[in-house]
Amino acid sequence: MNNFWILNMGAAALLIGIGIYCLLTMKNLVKLLIGIEIIAKGITLALVASGFAKNNLMLAQSLVISVIVVDVAVIATALAIIISINRHTKSLDVRKLTKLKG
Amino acid sequence: MHLLLMIGLVVFSIVSVLIHDLLKAAISLAAASIFLALIFFRMNAVYAGVFEVSVVAGLITVLFITAIALTRSDENVNESKYHLFIFPLFFAGLVIIDVLVMKNLLGRIPAISSPETGSFGDVLWKGRSFDLIGQIGVIFAGVLAVLALFRPKGKSAQGDKHE
Repeated sequence: MNNFWILNMGAAALLIGIGIYCLLTMKNLVKLLIGIEIIAKGITLALVASGFAKNNLMLAQSLVISVIVVDVAVIATALAIIISINRHTKSLDVRKLTKLKG
Repeated sequence: MHLLLMIGLVVFSIVSVLIHDLLKAAISLAAASIFLALIFFRMNAVYAGVFEVSVVAGLITVLFITAIALTRSDENVNESKYHLFIFPLFFAGLVIIDVLVMKNLLGRIPAISSPETGSFGDVLWKGRSFDLIGQIGVIFAGVLAVLALFRPKGKSAQGDKHE
């Protein structure tokens, strides 16, 4: 059980690391959202693995459902903002969003 | 089997980050979600698995593909050419740190709590009812934000233009 939990937490940490790499290095706005999505996957995996290890699976699942609902709202709003930005700048490049630059 | 599912999850996540085509990246993300849902099913987390398949692999992928179709521009975003060199180094470093940290976690697993009573519905509706109110608020906020971003220009905005 212990090794199983550690294996799951290792995979969750890898997913969060990959998501952070994506957020730090990618320039495409859609790719940044994909990075956020990968981080959310890592967090849900960590929640369910901890619930499974602690024999608290139902509570973990209810928390995962909360995370997924918030994630969907964030992604829908962010994609709407990206479409709006694309209409103005005709590009998905984050480097071109310099209107508020001081 | 569990290890294979985890490798599939991590590999598809890496592909979705590194691949240049956005459509293929979104489909790769959906495949990673399906692997994650299979892991949930193997851990008896049926409700989380169903949500993962239906909402994350289904709804979010549809949202991504719709957004990609609506933002098709001729100009490609120039990503850094060094990803093919930097990412393997970053990933190797991440794996080494991960193994070292997880090695320290051996034997520190939290104590197993008393078994839960009641069904999943009881835990969700009675135990986490405050969370559910917050979720409803978040959903409404998301819907209102999307409506605000896509609203047609009203008469006042057109009047401002003429002035």
